[in-house]
Amino acid sequence: MRRQVVNDPDQMVAEALEGLALSHPDLVRYDPRRQIVTRRHQATDKVALLSGGGSGHEPLHAGFVGVGMLDVAVPGAIFASPTALQLHEGTLAADNGQGVLHIVKNYTGDVLNFTIARELADDDGVRTAEVLVDDDLATDSNNDDTEDDEEDDGGPGRRGTAAVVAVEKLCGAAAEASASLDELAQLGADVVKRSSTLAFALEAGTHPGQDRAGFDLEAGEVEFGVGIHGERGRSRIDFAAADDLVAHVVDPLVESLGLARGDAVLAIVNDLGSAYPLETYVAARAMHRQLDGRGVTVARSLVGPYVTSLDMHGLSITLVRVDDDLLRLWDAPVHTPALTWGGAR
Amino acid sequence: MTTLQAGFGERWVATLQATFADAAAALGDLDRQSGDGDFGTNITSAFARARGEAEEAQPSTYPEWLTAVSRGFLGTGGTSGPLYGMFFRELARCTDGDEPSLAELSAGFAAGLATVQRYGKAKVGHKTMVDALSLAVDALEGSSDENDPAEALGAAADAAQEGARSTAEITARRGRAAYVGEVSRGVLDPGAVAMALVIRGAAQAAGGSTDAVDASWMQA
Repeated sequence: MRRQVVNDPDQMVAEALEGLALSHPDLVRYDPRRQIVTRRHQATDKVALLSGGGSGHEPLHAGFVGVGMLDVAVPGAIFASPTALQLHEGTLAADNGQGVLHIVKNYTGDVLNFTIARELADDDGVRTAEVLVDDDLATDSNNDDTEDDEEDDGGPGRRGTAAVVAVEKLCGAAAEASASLDELAQLGADVVKRSSTLAFALEAGTHPGQDRAGFDLEAGEVEFGVGIHGERGRSRIDFAAADDLVAHVVDPLVESLGLARGDAVLAIVNDLGSAYPLETYVAARAMHRQLDGRGVTVARSLVGPYVTSLDMHGLSITLVRVDDDLLRLWDAPVHTPALTWGGAR
Repeated sequence: MTTLQAGFGERWVATLQATFADAAAALGDLDRQSGDGDFGTNITSAFARARGEAEEAQPSTYPEWLTAVSRGFLGTGGTSGPLYGMFFRELARCTDGDEPSLAELSAGFAAGLATVQRYGKAKVGHKTMVDALSLAVDALEGSSDENDPAEALGAAADAAQEGARSTAEITARRGRAAYVGEVSRGVLDPGAVAMALVIRGAAQAAGGSTDAVDASWMQA
């Protein structure tokens, strides 16, 4: 049986956002009427960055609002897209006359509502551009069971998962350095092309107020290629030692990105909700050793919960092929509730 | 150019509020048989939001009333929320005047169909609201301001109702019902039924009424 620290399950997202703002009053504000999270002080001299999507993936996206990353986060209900009107309000709140970059994870509902929000913004004379994040290798050229049957237009494509953190950080740094809206859209698309993610889970997540996980696994099974909404994975593999599970993820990532000796990557070893730090660092060790064995340098990494799926017990690994320009953007200062480093605010 | 009678927009919205207050539960039942069951509550919450928008904006003209309904749906979740929101937005924008002419309204329905298809990627026969709306647009095609609006809209509503009824014979290809495939056969598509009720509401409002429209046919 699973239980949660919860008052009213329906109010959980709003209460957590209020808690986030109370915990980081110097960084972010929560507007319960418009249901958006904004920076404490609106930036006035740069293109604004907005992201959003279903909740249940915390600290994504609200935890990444602040200097050097997002200007506005628009959270939906758990695993449900924010509404078009919410995204529209967020876009108006973000804009300071220099346009708004929308960072969108590739899901049917999110894409629909963001597209509508851009059309509404256009009516209000606010310029927008979009970066579509679709990094999940498990859904590559593979029709995801949870999406519409879209055979007429080639299917919904890859899902958007943890690479969105890299896109938000790198585009955020470029925006602080005065990149234009078009340049940011191009940079974001480039980062997405350089990124690939794969995940596995030992146990599914549990919705607030429920005591059963989204799917059941036998003791000897691992859900491989799992999504961040409790979607079933691409296949079930045998439970194995950490090094073997990580190899199962790293090998296809290396192949899909065409990584070769001498290449450098940014790595995100992501806890999907209830992997504990000892496990996560054992996985990080395995990834380092395996990439090192291939002559691939892990130039920078994040290890911990960044894009979760409620309390799913599992991990995802994201690799982003980087060059010196991208590393400079990565190293630039960032001050958000969930990611903070570098110089003065 | 003759326009619809003054107050048409307000009457249409009042008609829709009354209609869906009665019909939401039955639409939710249809959705539970083929989709994920949230259509009834989504439509109820969209009209509740529309009421809130109207209280805030105090609309007086047709474009203002329809904008309140559009915003109500655009602030609602699911896939039907945003699609109905964009449909009503095209209707809100069909005229620069206080009330539309029949020709403007007909063009608004056609623009609404195009927008719903552009965003929803649904074609006729996919068991969606398009199956009702496209027949209504066909029926209105060629109607001019010479025609009696209530009569022309009534014919469009008849066509939409036939289109909605025809969805019982279709296995879903788009929308939530696509997930259950063959199970959706024999069940009316709630999105198509709701669209037919919307158009019937326009016909009754054009005739001066604000009564809820008869929705009993969806259970036949």
